[in-house]
Amino acid sequence: MNATSTVKSDYLLLFRGNVWDRGLSPAQIQKVVSDWMAWFEGLKAEGKCLGGHPLEEHGKVVSGKQRTVADGPFAESKEAIGGYFYLTVADENEAIEIAKQCPGLEYGSVVEVRPVTDVCSIRQRAEEYSTRQFAEATA
Amino acid sequence: MLLFRGPHWDQGLSTDELQKTMDDVMAWFEGLNQRGTVKGAQPLSAQGRTISGANGRFVVDGPFTETKEAVGGYLVLQADSLEEAIEVARTNPALRYGVSVEVRPILAECPIFARHPEIVRRAKERSVSAEELWATMAA
Repeated sequence: MNATSTVKSDYLLLFRGNVWDRGLSPAQIQKVVSDWMAWFEGLKAEGKCLGGHPLEEHGKVVSGKQRTVADGPFAESKEAIGGYFYLTVADENEAIEIAKQCPGLEYGSVVEVRPVTDVCSIRQRAEEYSTRQFAEATA
Repeated sequence: MLLFRGPHWDQGLSTDELQKTMDDVMAWFEGLNQRGTVKGAQPLSAQGRTISGANGRFVVDGPFTETKEAVGGYLVLQADSLEEAIEVARTNPALRYGVSVEVRPILAECPIFARHPEIVRRAKERSVSAEELWATMAA
């Protein structure tokens, strides 16, 4: 983490790789799902998770100047996002430690831990750029 | 949930273009906010970690936010239908510069449930929700 990091300690966990149930027996699936729900409820009870939801597998992707609407993402891909948790924790280490408890990890889930910020990185870059320009102009 | 992908759309834009687009994006967001349709929205910091493997034994830097697929922020939108959410996504002013918007319905229930109807049927036979059944099993 560098100095431009968020002052809030809020993190979004993005769950990727949502076909972890393939090849598992119903009993194994039930175990993972119940562990996952107990994990979520526990974090909520501790006040560390403010909310979370699964996402429907099929959505749409809007892109380009023509604002094209296409099917996607491909839920089968390992990169597709299947759900999220919103965490409020002490620091990044705590967010990572929580992410490591994800019951799907053993079966191929991947958890992306992302700090939530107040300032968009583009605005930040634009401000840095104009500060630099100003410094150069007045040098 | 709208996921904004491609957080480096500012590259190659002139300062004026960038300023204009950022103003347009802010106005777009404020407009949605005033209509009361935004339930939450935040940019995500470029820093983050990706956790994978059993017990989260792999922790790597990333994601690589330089990629077009990286998620740079999100917006939870209240909409009556997927179509309505898509129409909102299509009005995003940064689309013309390469941002893509993934539109994903938020679910109350994990889609894994739908893939395993036998588990849900067993829950219904016991006149409890699938969540309650799993919670019981987890206890």
